[in-house]
Amino acid sequence: MNETDKRILNEIQTDFPIVSRPYLELANRLGLSESEVINCVRKLKDRDVIRRIGGNFHSSKLNFASTLCAAKVPDEKIEHFVEVVNRYPGVTHNYMRSHDYNIWFTFIAEDMDTIDKVLQSISAETGVTQIRSLPATKTFKIKVDFEV
Amino acid sequence: MIDDLDKEVIRLIQGDLPVEERPFAVLAKQAGISEQDFIERVRNLKKEGILRRFGATLRHQKAGYDSNAMVAWLVPDERVDEVGHALARFREVTHCYQRRPQGDWPYNLFSMVHAGSREQCRKIAQRMSDAVRVKDYILLFSEKEFKKTSMEYF
Repeated sequence: MNETDKRILNEIQTDFPIVSRPYLELANRLGLSESEVINCVRKLKDRDVIRRIGGNFHSSKLNFASTLCAAKVPDEKIEHFVEVVNRYPGVTHNYMRSHDYNIWFTFIAEDMDTIDKVLQSISAETGVTQIRSLPATKTFKIKVDFEV
Repeated sequence: MIDDLDKEVIRLIQGDLPVEERPFAVLAKQAGISEQDFIERVRNLKKEGILRRFGATLRHQKAGYDSNAMVAWLVPDERVDEVGHALARFREVTHCYQRRPQGDWPYNLFSMVHAGSREQCRKIAQRMSDAVRVKDYILLFSEKEFKKTSMEYF
């Protein structure tokens, strides 16, 4: 990544202009041309440095419920368990982590009841009985932009 | 409250914006409204706090953040607010939540730490621990990513 790439990345993570020609505005801020910025962003997307450009929402303000789930899954069951869990569109992140609770996934749905019912059916289908839902009771920070 | 047109706008911006000179014009056409109306709707969602952020989401690994740890803390209830705010102030912390402990999971405060290596994550957690004077914490490193996507609400 060169300096221009980094400057553009730092600018478009939080402060992407919501205007008719956003890349022109970015170009003006950064002292570049509109086509330079567009070409650079295309390149960074092709290289998968940028995963997407879009909106991130407050799920609760859209009346959705969300939680973080932790499961203890024996090694031989991980593959099947992950396949079953990932089938649900409300599961947006899913990681293996270094702990007895080794599978951690986030779950967003219309309400908490739906989430609890889905977790029960995941248990029934996979034989994994220890799945805990740990909804946040207070948010202290969400900062998804990274200085590069 | 949001109306059906807002939902349509959300549906169009929860994905990936086309990289073109006038990206919102492309989406506005799909929504059947003018570019200016579309932009107004997006700005309004942001003003209302429904749209938390609009911008690029990076692949951390490719941006030089190779390691991430969920640091789980066991904090006395009466100190959760103070400690939560203090941890949130660390630059390396991207997310910080209080969660209700359950069964054999006793930890009630969660902070996500992103850094270049596991060793760096450990050092940052140690600094955080010293700063908030909480000794009971564990690091859960991510060992494999099975899914990472954004929510499709509508």
